Amino acid sequence: MKSLLAFMKKEWMEQLRSGRLVLLGILFALFGIMNPAIAKLTPWLLERMADTLEGSGLALTGISVSALDSWMQFFKNIPMALTIFLLLESRIFTREYQSGTLVLALTKGLERYKVVISKTLLLVLLWSAGYGLCFGITYGYNAYFWGNAAAQNLLHALLCWWLFGVWTIALTALFSAGAQSNTGVLAGTGSVVLASYLIGMFPGAKEYMPTLLMDGNSLIYGSSDVQAYTLAMIITAVLCMLCFAASIPIFNKKQL
Amino acid sequence: MDMLHIRGLHKRFGDKEVLKGLNLSVPEHSVFGFIGKNGAGKTTTMKAVLGLLRTDDGEIMVGGEKVVYGQTSSNRFIGYLPDVPEFYPFMTAPEYLRFCGEITGGKRSENEKRSKELLELVGLGDETHRIRGFSRGMKQRLGIAQALLNRPRLLICDEPTSALDPVGRKEILDILLAVREQTTVLFSTHILSDVERICTDVAFLNDGVVSIQGKLSDVKSIYRSDEYLLEVERKEDIQGLMRAFRFMRQRADYVLAFHEKDHALFDVLRYVTEGRVSLSKLERVEPTLESLFMEVVEK
Repeated sequence: MKSLLAFMKKEWMEQLRSGRLVLLGILFALFGIMNPAIAKLTPWLLERMADTLEGSGLALTGISVSALDSWMQFFKNIPMALTIFLLLESRIFTREYQSGTLVLALTKGLERYKVVISKTLLLVLLWSAGYGLCFGITYGYNAYFWGNAAAQNLLHALLCWWLFGVWTIALTALFSAGAQSNTGVLAGTGSVVLASYLIGMFPGAKEYMPTLLMDGNSLIYGSSDVQAYTLAMIITAVLCMLCFAASIPIFNKKQL
Repeated sequence: MDMLHIRGLHKRFGDKEVLKGLNLSVPEHSVFGFIGKNGAGKTTTMKAVLGLLRTDDGEIMVGGEKVVYGQTSSNRFIGYLPDVPEFYPFMTAPEYLRFCGEITGGKRSENEKRSKELLELVGLGDETHRIRGFSRGMKQRLGIAQALLNRPRLLICDEPTSALDPVGRKEILDILLAVREQTTVLFSTHILSDVERICTDVAFLNDGVVSIQGKLSDVKSIYRSDEYLLEVERKEDIQGLMRAFRFMRQRADYVLAFHEKDHALFDVLRYVTEGRVSLSKLERVEPTLESLFMEVVEK
């Protein structure tokens, strides 16, 4: 336990001193501010463009925005935030393989599974904190401007997206245990997510796919009900555990 | 008792067989020089001892415990210094040692005391910068400090002096000499003068097997006094001598070498006298590790 904590402390120190923590903070905060800002600015932007639009035959009348527009932006933008997060953190394992820094820690008797646990746990914590920050900022502005009552199933939609993020982290850990470079990690994680998305396009398959969880908009607009997501949530949670469970024996056999 | 015992170690990388049944015994409290050319398999052997490398066949025992690939429990006996030690660049030296101490377990106060002691020993006591800015020599010294932190019974150093300038080398060798009281030291190298300076035992690794192994003094005495160097004044005498004594080897333009066991010295001298070969020098070779090494490598 002591060595696990020591390694986690080291991971935390690395995030802090390399500046990635600050960068992630800024990233998620910016995305959080952007969502209501875009919603708030839309009427103004459209008014500015009204003359041009009229010229092309479109007439604008009484544009109104609500918290829903801001939440729609949130679910549209959070994939981008997650992608940047994963790009920034995709080297969390492979950096150590390439520099050889793990060798000394492991030859000191640090068990390998603790490396996997520390790094995965830290990623989940960072994702949760960043996601929470992004959400909190959007929620605050929305409450101030419009009130959040219009968004249905908001917490559920948030939970779904959070779980989707955790799944991509579990995939990152799994591919990091196997691959030597972060190209392999990103390619592996990307392909699985893409495959899930593509399979989800077949009729009847979508409700089983983790990528369904990305569709927060249907929930907040009320066009899907919460039950429709349950199966995908269970499957995703199981997949997360499987990825995690598989990454430890794979990492144990890794040549460093 | 042997601190480290290796029997029949085999390792193949693709179609290249690096270790072909290596046997090695490192006695307790020795400073053991593990000598071989670049690429002879020294690092491979050491990594196998640390359980970092999957071997194809053979058995490794450290302190009486069998080494299993991927499992690191036998590493609690070992302190390891890789050829190019890599540390977390964002830490300072004391922070890194604290991290190592926390990984190994043990009391915090004890670790702090030991870290301080070791940093003094390796001359990094006053260093407050992050490791990012360390020179190679400083990293090597920090490497020794971290390797000694948990008072290992076996200290393994992979070419600790190879990349260093003479001053840095001397510092490292002095540190290794200083710690031999506390631990068994196994270090690999191809710098033979380093071995002669500090080692009690040696093993030569060549072509995937250990070809000579033993106490440095024994190894040297076995090979003592058998070899002679003969320097002639005229180049044409070289050919004549080599025809007459077929095991003579040419060492330089005017220099021949031979072993007493192949050709008796008196026979050679008789030839020299009868053939009126003018000599500029006849020398009995004190075996150096270098000559031994060359012999092993050429065999």
